[in-house]
Amino acid sequence: MEWGNTLMDDHVLALSGVERPRVCFLPTASGDADHYVVRFYRAFPASRCEPSHVSLFRRETGVGDVRTHLLSQDLIYVGGGSLVSLLGTWRAHGIDLALREAWQAGVVLCGGSAGSLCWFEQAVSAFHEGPPRRIEGLGLLPWTNTVHYNEEPGRRAAFLEAIGDGAPPGFGVGDAAALHFIGTDLFDVICSRPGARATHVCVDQRGSVSECELEVRYLGASALGDEAAIAA
Amino acid sequence: MGGGGFTMQERSPALDQLVLTLTAKAVPRICFLPTASGDPREQVTRFHERFGEWPCEPSTLSLFHLGRDRIDPIEHLLTQDAIYVGGGSMRNMLAIWREHGIDDAMRVAWQSGTVLAGLSAGAMCWFAGGVSMSGGSPEAVAGLGLLDGSLSVHLGGERRRMPVYRSAVASGVLPAGYALDDGAALVYEGTRLAQSVASHPGARAVHVRRRRAGGTDEREVSLKLLPGARARGGSRLGRESSAVSELRELRAGRHRWD
Repeated sequence: MEWGNTLMDDHVLALSGVERPRVCFLPTASGDADHYVVRFYRAFPASRCEPSHVSLFRRETGVGDVRTHLLSQDLIYVGGGSLVSLLGTWRAHGIDLALREAWQAGVVLCGGSAGSLCWFEQAVSAFHEGPPRRIEGLGLLPWTNTVHYNEEPGRRAAFLEAIGDGAPPGFGVGDAAALHFIGTDLFDVICSRPGARATHVCVDQRGSVSECELEVRYLGASALGDEAAIAA
Repeated sequence: MGGGGFTMQERSPALDQLVLTLTAKAVPRICFLPTASGDPREQVTRFHERFGEWPCEPSTLSLFHLGRDRIDPIEHLLTQDAIYVGGGSMRNMLAIWREHGIDDAMRVAWQSGTVLAGLSAGAMCWFAGGVSMSGGSPEAVAGLGLLDGSLSVHLGGERRRMPVYRSAVASGVLPAGYALDDGAALVYEGTRLAQSVASHPGARAVHVRRRRAGGTDEREVSLKLLPGARARGGSRLGRESSAVSELRELRAGRHRWD
């Protein structure tokens, strides 16, 4: 749902492997902000997919049985915002369990920012939670994750410290970059803007924290082509 | 409050004013928490519109925006004279509060004399339990339990809630308590009910308790009309359709979440 750039949205729609996938948006981490829901319906119009959203703050309207609805989707897109509030709200409605079921049933799960952190065993969260802190996610992926890795000051240092302190090895992901897992294995690293970065961080054999820059595949035609397109 | 106040655009400011009066401070510090509706900007604006005109130090605590606001939520709550909690999803609000340790902070604030106020979910949360629409249909939900009884809200406005409240009390799922209309409010000093008040004539409060033989015993509670109370005729309370509210929120501006 990047402004003026549909590459990542196109990519996740294609991952569903269905011509007109059923796509459900969960804006929980934003407190179900209306403008975010509107942005989703603009980015995922009915001409390309069957879009829907679940508002956990207004359950008296909308989808009745949330679990059944989530399990019937091809793609679930989780929006950004506060990870702590997201996880608390999900647990209160059993959405954590429903998402695990959906994942096991082969539904493609994706999201940005808090919508990325939530899938991992551990997350190093910052902006929306105040100072960087370690938060336990849903644990579908047995790794640690942080986002805005190259953009937000303090993120990288906090992430390296967390890995050094015994958090599972993991991934620091920069803006416009994305990790694609199949099961719990990293399958692809992609980006919607040339030059986006992603870093694998682990404790090496000598016991020190080491960073390894991952090769990131640009989803556009070519860097030059993309610049030409923007210029046009 | 069973409903009413600035978040519901009640024309009478009597209930909001009462919250300040109860602090017995000349310039009280009052903090608004809109957690139960996901911290919409519109409610924050309305809060400042109403309380900005009165002698007080208004602030808001948004648990979805701790990064932006750079506030330590617990420290902030513990320095307030009054805490005003908005309505919405009680289940979400309590779950989010627990994640942030706000539930414990509320108890500490209460014990140290802070006035705890709110409407709808923000009123039921102080009791052992209430009837919430958080799951779609009305159901009994546990609260923080600062007060022993139970509370149900929007008595006249939401017809589906009262039957569920009645049967929850009859079956013992919820303890005895009160069902309040929009504009009706109960004031507790410690755990003792001190006043039953209303911001407009005709607002009702009903005490509901379990009857031994089965069912419930119910009695009307007489409410004292607050200074500044107004008839509901010209009020916008509950009049605005949800489509209009949604458009209003949309026009309030954009915010990036990712």
